[in-house]
Amino acid sequence: MNEILAKLATEFPGVFDAENPDPSGALVPADQHVAVAAFLKENGFTKYVTVVGSHYPASGDEGVAEYEVGTVLRNPTRNSFAFMWRVRIPMDGEVPTLCPLFAGADWQEREQFDLVGVRFGGHPDLRRLMLPEDWEGHPLHKDYAIETAHPPWR
Amino acid sequence: MEVRVPTRPNPHLDIDAYDADADLMALNMGPQHPSTHGVMRIKLFLDGEVIVKAVPYPGYLHRGVEKLCEKLTFVQIIPIVDKHDYVAPMTNEQAIAVAFERTLGIEVPRRARYLRTILAELTRIGSHLLWLGTFTLDIGGTIGGGASVMMYTFREREKILDCFENLTGSRFHYNTHTVGGNRHEIPDGWVDQVKAITALMKIRVPEYEELCTGNEIFNLRTQGVGVVDADLALELGLCGPNLRGSGVDHDLRRDQPFHAYDEIEVNVAVAQGGDCHARYQVRIAELYESIRIIESIIDKIPDGPLSSQRPVKSHLGVKIKTGCHYHSIETPRGELGTYIIGGGDNKSASPYRLKIRPPSLHSMSALPYLLVGHTVSDVVAILGSLDPIMGEVDR
Repeated sequence: MNEILAKLATEFPGVFDAENPDPSGALVPADQHVAVAAFLKENGFTKYVTVVGSHYPASGDEGVAEYEVGTVLRNPTRNSFAFMWRVRIPMDGEVPTLCPLFAGADWQEREQFDLVGVRFGGHPDLRRLMLPEDWEGHPLHKDYAIETAHPPWR
Repeated sequence: MEVRVPTRPNPHLDIDAYDADADLMALNMGPQHPSTHGVMRIKLFLDGEVIVKAVPYPGYLHRGVEKLCEKLTFVQIIPIVDKHDYVAPMTNEQAIAVAFERTLGIEVPRRARYLRTILAELTRIGSHLLWLGTFTLDIGGTIGGGASVMMYTFREREKILDCFENLTGSRFHYNTHTVGGNRHEIPDGWVDQVKAITALMKIRVPEYEELCTGNEIFNLRTQGVGVVDADLALELGLCGPNLRGSGVDHDLRRDQPFHAYDEIEVNVAVAQGGDCHARYQVRIAELYESIRIIESIIDKIPDGPLSSQRPVKSHLGVKIKTGCHYHSIETPRGELGTYIIGGGDNKSASPYRLKIRPPSLHSMSALPYLLVGHTVSDVVAILGSLDPIMGEVDR
C-alpha cells in the first residue's frame, strides 16, 4: 500500500499524499482520472474491481449538488489489496470513461449511469443496464422517494 | 500448455454497417430459456449458425436492494443479502458481515472465525456440486444419460443442506451471521455430521470426475470453447474459478485472508487454457481442496464465545464511520465485495450508499467477448461454464 502511494505521490504531486493518506481514497481531479488508472494498471493493479457512484444533494444555499465516483482496482498477487480513489463532479458534469483501459468498465459504468445517473464521457454505449429503457429517473438519487410508485409500473 | 490468445472481438460492433444487406438473423435467447440459469435475454446476431455479435440484457430480477439498504440498519441488511446468490447464501451473509465488522472495527472471536471457515467451505462444495450438475445437464444428454450427474450431485448437496439446517434451523435463508460473530451455537453431533459429509465426498467426487473427464463428448464440447486470456479476464474483473481457469494464480483466501484462512494453508487451484474445460478443472480441484480444508480444521475449533464481547444485536450506539470502505471475501464464484459509504439515516446506523460487487455480473459482461465466433449450441456451454447466478447479477 505504502509503496504504490509513494509512487503515485511522485507522479501526481498534490493529489496523493503518501504521509497522511485519506482512508476513503484520495480525491482526484476529473481530468487526471484516466491517467491515474493507467498508471496503476502499469504498476500491477491489473484487476478491475468496481466503480461506485453516489449522489450528494446540495446542502445549504451555496452548495452544489454533486456526484462522487469511487473506483477500485486490485493487484492479483500475494498480499493483494484493493486500491481506491474518488472523483467528484457537479451533477451536469462528466467523468471520463475507463473503457479503453478496462473492458469491464463498460457494464459497470452503464449500471452506475442507470441507477445513479452519473454520465461517463466517451463511453461507447451508455445505455441503461438493469432498468427498462423507458424508465424515468435514476433510483439511487437521494430525492427519489422509496415509498411512492414511479412510472412506468411493470 | 500455452494460452491461446484470440483476437479480441468488438462488443460494440455496428450491425448496420457490418451487414448492410440485412442478411444476418437476430435470435433472442431467453428470457425463459432453460439454460439461462434464471431469467436473462441474449440477443444473438447470426451469420448462418456462427455468432457475429451478442448483446446480453440482464435486469429481469432487479429488486432495488441498494436503494433499500440506504433505509435499513446493518442488522436488517444481513438477512436480505441471502437472496442474492441463492446457490450459496452462506457466503453472501459472510461477505456483508465481514465488511461491516471491518468498517466498524469489531473483533470476531476465534471460534466464530473457524466456524465461518467450515461453513464457507461446505457452501463451496454445495455450490460447485450444483454447478457440475446443471453444467452437465446443459451440454446435453450425453454424459451418463442426460440428468444422471445432476441427480447424483443433488443427492450429495442435500446432505450439506441438512447439515446447515441442523445448525441454523433453516435450509436456505440462514441469518446465522451477525456483526461480531455467529448466532447459533454448534449443536451436539454436528461435527460428526460434517465428518460424514467429507468422508462421503472423498468417495463421490472421484466418481463425478470419472464420469466427465474421460468422456470424449464432454471434452469435445468444452475444450477450446469460450477461451478468455488472462489479460482480458483481469480487465473484465472476472474472479474466482473463471479467473483461475485463465491461469491467474489469485485467490483472496490466500492473498487477502479473512475468517481463519490466515492460520491455515490454502492450495490455490489454477488451470491453463481459459476455456470451459479449464474452468471445469479448477472447480473439480477446488472440491478436493475444500474437503481437505474442512478435514484439517474440523477437530480444531477452539472453545470460547461465538460472538464478540459486546454483541451487536441492535444498531443503538453503533455508528458507521463516515468515509468510503471497500471489503471483500472469496465466495464460490469469486470476489464478493461491499462498498460502504457511512453516515446515512437512522442516526448513522444505515449506510449512506451501499454497493455490492457481485462476481456474476462481471462473468456476464464477458459474454459479448466469449460468444463471438461460436455456434448457438456453444452459447449454452459457455454460459454454464461461467456459473452465473441471476439473482446476484441483478440484485
